[in-house]
Amino acid sequence: MKYLSTQLLDGLSSQTETNISKAISEWQFLSNTVMTLQPAPGAWSASQCLEHLNSYGRYYLPAIEKSMAKANGNKPALYFKSSWLGNYFYKMMLPENNGSIKKKMKSPKDHQPRLELNSEKVLNEFISQLEILSRLLSAAYHTDLNSARVPISISPFIKLKLGDVFLFLTAHINRHVLKAERALQTALKETSASLPPGYQLLHSDSQFIH
Amino acid sequence: MSQAESLENFITAVYPLPAASLQAFLSVWEPFTGTRKTILTRAGDTERNLYFVTKGIQRVYYFDERNREATIVFTYAPSFSGVADSFLTQTPSRFFAETLTPSAFLKTSFRQLDELMKADHDVERMIRILSNHAFAGVLERMVEIQCFTAEEKFKTLLKRSPHLLNLIPHKYIASYLGIDASNFSKLLAKIRI
Repeated sequence: MKYLSTQLLDGLSSQTETNISKAISEWQFLSNTVMTLQPAPGAWSASQCLEHLNSYGRYYLPAIEKSMAKANGNKPALYFKSSWLGNYFYKMMLPENNGSIKKKMKSPKDHQPRLELNSEKVLNEFISQLEILSRLLSAAYHTDLNSARVPISISPFIKLKLGDVFLFLTAHINRHVLKAERALQTALKETSASLPPGYQLLHSDSQFIH
Repeated sequence: MSQAESLENFITAVYPLPAASLQAFLSVWEPFTGTRKTILTRAGDTERNLYFVTKGIQRVYYFDERNREATIVFTYAPSFSGVADSFLTQTPSRFFAETLTPSAFLKTSFRQLDELMKADHDVERMIRILSNHAFAGVLERMVEIQCFTAEEKFKTLLKRSPHLLNLIPHKYIASYLGIDASNFSKLLAKIRI
């Protein structure tokens, strides 16, 4: 796959912005009970989805930053050309056309989130990581997405192009944000918290401030 | 409303300028945008620019080598932004200024504004009145910081800027209130009743 570099970054930035806006305007107002409720036995809660993403961000964000610092001075290229392996990882993360999540994947052990989580802490870290990702995507307009390379989390000997890493990392985030939203729909029903309290806050400013 | 109209409305409410002065004042600004978490000013650098916000939310904050951080002020449309003391005195800033959401501004330089103030008495007077307001705001905040509980500070912030709660990460509000980010949800739950 070949992309116009700026178009690719525009698209990824806007997806990241959508995810961060959702976390800020909706999830910040949900209780620990709702965020950590599993929609079915063994199925991840919203907090678990986010913690799973955090565990990857802890590796990839510093790795991306390092690769960009190293490639500093390389002129940005007009086109980004995806590698075979990068494209394979990316495609694996994409949802089906109907929005459902493709075949289940088993997460590596060190990326499996615990059941008991502090939802506030997890969400704060998730938002901070998306802020960093957003900043790195902005900085990437001045970097060659082809020549900067990032070692992947399962093997430091395999390096992917920066553009590929941005693509699959964002797709991975989108995948689990979607899963978190589904978990929340169930959790909100089950806890009969029909509306997230944040929404109530919004629509009753006068009673809210006393 | 265009950015220039927004700026004109804002300053006219502070101090109406004669037509020629208004024209001269509006001519020194140029558009500027920043994505989420764009640093506008770094501690140690002198603030060369004055910003007028037309979109988004920004903050000015203190951060030191011992990892102490304090959010001093939030800015959003329509208002001025940047590190005010460093700008007015043209000395190195002790603070950072950054965007918290994608933002749009008009921006001008100290040099341009300074020349205009020297040449135009009305512009200078308008800037002085603006500075007075800013000064009054700082003293008011001093009282909040020294006398108010975290809950009272939070309620005051919500009265002044209720929209912030929905638009920015709560860790920044916690930092403005002087509480730990992990305690913010408790405060939110308490106020909600």
